Amino acid sequence: MIQSIKLVFSNFIYVLLSAIIFVSMMIGLLIMSEYIFLAPYIVSHLPSGTELGFVLILTLSALSALVIPMNIFRINILKSSKQKMSGGVVGSIIGAVAGACSCGPVGFAVISTFGSVGATATAFLTNYEIPIRIMAIAILVVTYFTTIKSLKLECNINS
Amino acid sequence: MNKKAVILGVIVIAIVAGIAASVSSSTSETVNLDMGRTHGTISTVMGSAILGDPSAPITIVEFGDYQCHQCYNWFHNTKPAITRDYIETGKANLVFVDLAFLGNDSPKAAQASYCAEDQGMYWDYHDILYNSQEPKIDGGWANSERLKAFAFSLGLDMELFESCLDSGKYSKRVQYNIQQARDHGVRGTPGFFIVGPDGQQQISGAQPFSVFKQIMDPMI
Repeated sequence: MIQSIKLVFSNFIYVLLSAIIFVSMMIGLLIMSEYIFLAPYIVSHLPSGTELGFVLILTLSALSALVIPMNIFRINILKSSKQKMSGGVVGSIIGAVAGACSCGPVGFAVISTFGSVGATATAFLTNYEIPIRIMAIAILVVTYFTTIKSLKLECNINS
Repeated sequence: MNKKAVILGVIVIAIVAGIAASVSSSTSETVNLDMGRTHGTISTVMGSAILGDPSAPITIVEFGDYQCHQCYNWFHNTKPAITRDYIETGKANLVFVDLAFLGNDSPKAAQASYCAEDQGMYWDYHDILYNSQEPKIDGGWANSERLKAFAFSLGLDMELFESCLDSGKYSKRVQYNIQQARDHGVRGTPGFFIVGPDGQQQISGAQPFSVFKQIMDPMI
């Protein structure tokens, strides 16, 4: 497992890609979930009772930063199919969407644009935000292990 | 002599009862009787009663939804400090204006708060809604039956409250407030305008007390 990770991240490009994914995803989700505010001042804030949501965002961002570069490595270096890439991307998107639609600007825009359909979708994503994020993390974990297995086979790595 | 004493006694009791009633109702709640009320550029005429001293130099206009969990966070994490340091000290007052957009129960909850206002209990009802909020939007915690149960728990006249809520008496008032929010570029809840003597400043989201303090202190 560690050898597969070393193989991918021995290339600086993938380390950089991972860092970009982690930072941009984490900051984006923290802004959307109102842990970080940009105006009128840049300020971070962790209200009591929202600690689990915060931990899930960090986990989701870390896993996305791990899984997506590994799958890009597989596609680029090994010219494998793009099938396993979808797991990482789907997991990341599901996790991101769950927190975006709430009482903030994204939820407001969705409801204003799509009316009752938007309101229903927003209510669903808000009501099940935590379970959806956990599901997204589960998808990323499964994708991670399948990617590791695939790299071991395709690169003949001894574990 | 006895008759005079009885009459005098009745008058004394009436005066004492009157004083007691006025003291018990002299909370910081001021019912809005000003039909042209504005704060900054915002028409708050259809908003809540003013919480705090109406002549305070700063007014916090809060746009909120009773089903919004960020409003719940602000109510529990930031508002207590603002109440303690600014509202109770007469430095600021607060007006709540509905931006009830999250679900079917949101406008109904907003209307219920004005039905409670009819009986002088707006802020008590407002507080009970945010203290009773449950995580699920339209999950039933703010349906018509629960709204009536909250009113009952506050000891409101249920006949008046139910007729008010069931008739949709304040439906247009809530719609007007929602339109005010849209007209002022509020794109989510909670949204705030801090209106001071020299202008107004918008704050979006359930921001911490430190942000409000930084904006309000120079206005005083």
